[in-house]
Amino acid sequence: MTSTLQTCFDDRDSLIAYVKKLAPWADGAASQIQGGRLKAEMRLAAINPIKYGGSRNFGDGHVTRLSPYIHHGVLSLNEVRNHALSQCSQPVQITKFIQELAWRDFWQLVLRAHPHWAWADVEPYKTGFSAQDYADALPADIAEGKTGVACLDAFINELIETGYIHNHARMYLASYVVHYRRVKWQAGARWFLQHLLDGDIASNNLSWQWVASTFSNKPYIFNLENVERYFGKLVDTSPALNQPLHATYETLQLGLFPNLGMTL
Amino acid sequence: MSKPLILLHQEALRRTHPVFDAAPAETKAIYVWDDAFFKDANYSLKRLVFVYETLCELPVDIIRGGTLETVLQLAPSLLYIPAANNPLLISLIDSIKKEVPAKIVEDEPFVTLQRKTEFRRFFQYWNKAEKTAFLLDGSEDA
Ligand SMILES: Cc1cc2nc3c(=O)[nH]c(=O)nc-3n(C[C@H](O)[C@H](O)[C@H](O)COP(=O)(O)OP(=O)(O)OC[C@H]3O[C@@H](n4cnc5c(N)ncnc54)[C@H](O)[C@@H]3O)c2cc1C
Repeated sequence: MTSTLQTCFDDRDSLIAYVKKLAPWADGAASQIQGGRLKAEMRLAAINPIKYGGSRNFGDGHVTRLSPYIHHGVLSLNEVRNHALSQCSQPVQITKFIQELAWRDFWQLVLRAHPHWAWADVEPYKTGFSAQDYADALPADIAEGKTGVACLDAFINELIETGYIHNHARMYLASYVVHYRRVKWQAGARWFLQHLLDGDIASNNLSWQWVASTFSNKPYIFNLENVERYFGKLVDTSPALNQPLHATYETLQLGLFPNLGMTL
Repeated sequence: MSKPLILLHQEALRRTHPVFDAAPAETKAIYVWDDAFFKDANYSLKRLVFVYETLCELPVDIIRGGTLETVLQLAPSLLYIPAANNPLLISLIDSIKKEVPAKIVEDEPFVTLQRKTEFRRFFQYWNKAEKTAFLLDGSEDA
C-alpha cells in the first residue's frame, strides 16, 4: 500500500527537519530562498524588466531571481513574459529581458533535440587543448570555496549557502574551473547541479559548454578588472587576494592557452 | 475500477500547468518522492527543501517510493504526465510509458516556431523566435 507524506507543518523549521529525515544522505542546510507559488508570485510582482536591460550584468543589478521557480515550472516562461509585457508601454523597452527568457527556451529546445549533449562535448575544445588534457574531478578547494582567490571563494560560498548566484558569477566560476584549473566542464556542471536551486541540465550544462568552448566559437575568459567593474561593491577584488585573475587579457590568453598564441 | 491519475514531477510544479486541464475534472494528482531518483541526481538538501515546500502548496498527494513501482501499484486507467526536459526524468517517463497507458502534456509554449528547425547557435533560434517572443502567449492569435 502507498502512504502519503505530510504536507502541513507548524513552521518552516519543522518542514526542513522532516525533509532531512526523508533524505539523511543529502548534503548541507536549507537555503533562505523559499519554494512555493506564493513566493514566486511575490518575486514576479517585484521585477523591473525595463531597468533590467541596463543593469543585468552587475551583481546588484535588476535581475529577477526567478530561476528556481521557472526551473520547477512554478512559473511558466510564458506567464513571466506576459507579466513583463504588462510592465512596459513599448515591448522594445524590455528587449533584453525577453531575450534572456528566450535563452532558456533555446537551451531547452536544443537539449530536447539532442539529449546526449547533456554530458557529451558538442564540439571539440577551441583552446588548443583536447578533452584528455582536462582533469575529470573537481578539486576539493573549489568544491569547498577555498581556492584562495577571494572573489571566487565569495561566489562559491554564496552558491553553497543559498543555491543561487548571479549569471556573471556563474560565468566566472565556470571559466575558472575549466580554463584556469583545466578541469572538464562536466565536473563543474555536476557540482553546480548539486547546489543550484534552479539547477537545470539544459541551461546549466549547455552554458558550461558555452564557457568551455565545446558549444561556442571561443572560450570565455575574464580578469580581475572585469570582476571589479561588475561586483566591486560586493566582493573583495583587491589584487593581493585575487592574484591569478590580476592580469590583462593578452597575458591571460597566452598563459591559459599557450598552444593558441594570440589567435582568439 | 481504475481511474485516471496525474503524475507531477519536479519540472511542472504548478496548478495552472496544462496537464490539469488535459485530465478530466477531479483527477487526483500525485508526486512520487523517489529517493533513488534524488540520490542519482545528487541533490543537496536545499534543493530537496525547495521542492518539498513547493509541493506543500499544491493539491497533490506526495507518495514516497519508486516512481515506476508506485504507478504500477496505483494502476491508473490513464496517466497524465507533464512533458519533461531532464534526460533522467525522460528515461523514467519512458519506462512508465512501457507499462501504463500515458498521455504526455506539453507546457504552454514561449514562442510559436513555424517549422521544426535545428538550432546550434542562439541567434539562429532568435531570428525565428523574435516575431512572437514579444506577443502575449507567444502567439499572433492571443
Ligand atoms: C555556467 C552557467 C550555469 C548556469 N546554470 C543554470 C541553471 O542550472 N539553471 C538556470 O535556470 N540557468 C542557468 N544559467 C543561466 C543563468 O545564469 C540563470 O538562468 C540566471 O542567472 C538566473 O538568475 P535570474 O533568475 O535572476 O535571471 P534573470 O537575469 O532575471 O533572467 C530571468 C530568467 O530568464 C532565464 N535566463 C536568464 N539568463 C539566462 C541564460 N543565460 N540561460 C538560460 N536562461 C536564462 C532564467 O529562467 C531566468 O530566471 C547558467 C549560466 C551559466 C553561465
